[in-house]
Formats: sequence, C-alpha cells, structure tokens
Amino acid sequence: MSADPCRGAESLMQPYLDRVLTEAEVSRIDVHLQECSYCSDRYVFERSLRTAVKSCCCDEPVPDGFVERLRRRCTDQA
Amino acid sequence: MLLLTDTLAEMASSDPPPGSLAAAAGRDRAEFEEEALVHAEQLYRIALRLTGSPQAAEDLVQDTYLRAFRSWQSYKPGTNLAAWLATIMRNANLDELRRQSRRPVQEPLDDDGDYYLYNRLAESGPQPQDEVLARLSGNAIVSAVGDLPPNFREVVVLVDVGDFSYADAADILGIPIGTVMSRLYRGRRLLKRALADHAGGEAA
Repeated sequence: MSADPCRGAESLMQPYLDRVLTEAEVSRIDVHLQECSYCSDRYVFERSLRTAVKSCCCDEPVPDGFVERLRRRCTDQA
Repeated sequence: MLLLTDTLAEMASSDPPPGSLAAAAGRDRAEFEEEALVHAEQLYRIALRLTGSPQAAEDLVQDTYLRAFRSWQSYKPGTNLAAWLATIMRNANLDELRRQSRRPVQEPLDDDGDYYLYNRLAESGPQPQDEVLARLSGNAIVSAVGDLPPNFREVVVLVDVGDFSYADAADILGIPIGTVMSRLYRGRRLLKRALADHAGGEAA
C-alpha cells in the first residue's frame, strides 16, 4: 500500500468486501489487517454492516400466496 | 457473405416449424413457469426495497413476469435468468424512478471517508464492533435504504440485497461497470451517513 497503509486499506475496503480485488491487492490488505487493529476493527464493522443490511432487507416474509398468485397471472396470460 | 449465411441459418433454426405454434406456446409457458418462478422471491425482495410497499412490490413483480413471458423467446438459455428478469423489472420500474428523480440526484458528499458511521457510533468511547452495530435497529436500516436517492438505491439494492455482481448490475441498469462501482460506493456512504444521523438523533 502507499505512504499511508491505513488510508490505502480504507480506499479498497468496499471492493475488498465485494471480493473484486486482485490476489495481490487482497493479500496486501490481509497483511495490513493482521497488523493494524484500527483497520481490522473497522473491517469487522463494515463486514457486519453489510450482513445486517442484507438480512434486514430480506427479513420481511414474502406475502402469503405470492408465488401462487404470480403463477396464476402467468397462466391466465398465456 | 459468411455473415449473411450465418444470419439465415440462425433465423431458420429459431423459427418454429409451421403448425406447431400452439404446442410451442404451451411448452414455452411450462418452461417459463418452471424456470422463471424460481426467482420470484428474490425479485420480490428487490422490488420491495425499490418500491417501499408490499403491494407495489407484488404489482411490480407481476408486471415483470407478464412482460418476461411475452419476451421469453428473447431469453438465451444458459445465461443468467435472474439478471434477465431483473433487467425487465428495472425497465418496468423505470417510469416510476424517473418520476421520482426528475434529474439525476447528485448528493453532496464531503470527504467523510468510508468509516464515517463507525467513527460516529464509536465517538462515545471505544466499544466492541458488534456493540456498535447493535445500536442500529433493523427498521432504521430498512428505511435508510428506502430513503436513498433512486439511482443510488437501485445499485445498492441489486448488489447488497439481490446479490448481483457488478457486471450483472451494469447489464441490468444499462450503465458502465465503473458507474455501478461509483454509485455503489457513494450509495453505501450515503446509507452510512443516514444511519449515523439516525443514531445521533436517537441519542439526542
């Protein structure tokens, strides 16, 4: 990473969590996260936030009979 | 020359034999229902976050499937069906999005940095990360996602809720992958800022 490794890690944190970085970039961040508690605390937080957003947004149940109503609409249409 | 023969061959192979149209339509419908309905719940969750209400989400998904069935012939088997359906859903929803955002929303984004939310939540003293996160309620997260400007919200919802890749999201939205990335990162920052404001408001 560049002059300031923490800043470098921060700028790559989102693509790192999205798993779109090259192997070389990933291993540079991996090494840095092992050495730096400031960044690893924040990494853990960002990762849990991602999980929380996903689970909160998918928590609400699909309404009763939703797929059946949809199937019927498709069948009626044909 | 080669191009013309290829095109003709392709046209011939995609034309159903005469007389079998009804049978083909029946087969199509069975195939469509079997393959496409598998993705209905995933699309519903995306629709729910895009529209904000269960009824509007269900209507949007129904509209999507009716449109999808009508253009089922244009789906290429073996390609990503969920992304194909999401593209149709996005188009179905586009008028509404356009209505909401008469012009592209450019949210001012000062240099808060990616850790803005963490830093704000941790201000009151160092805490373990899961405790910091526990201070955000599920409702706050859901409404913060719903309040994102539409062009950021759709990217965040597709990638972070719908699990689509950057490339799929780019196809679905018809924008370059670089635009997906910039909207996604910016959208996530807006989300964090909204959550930080929400947490700050509750504490005050």
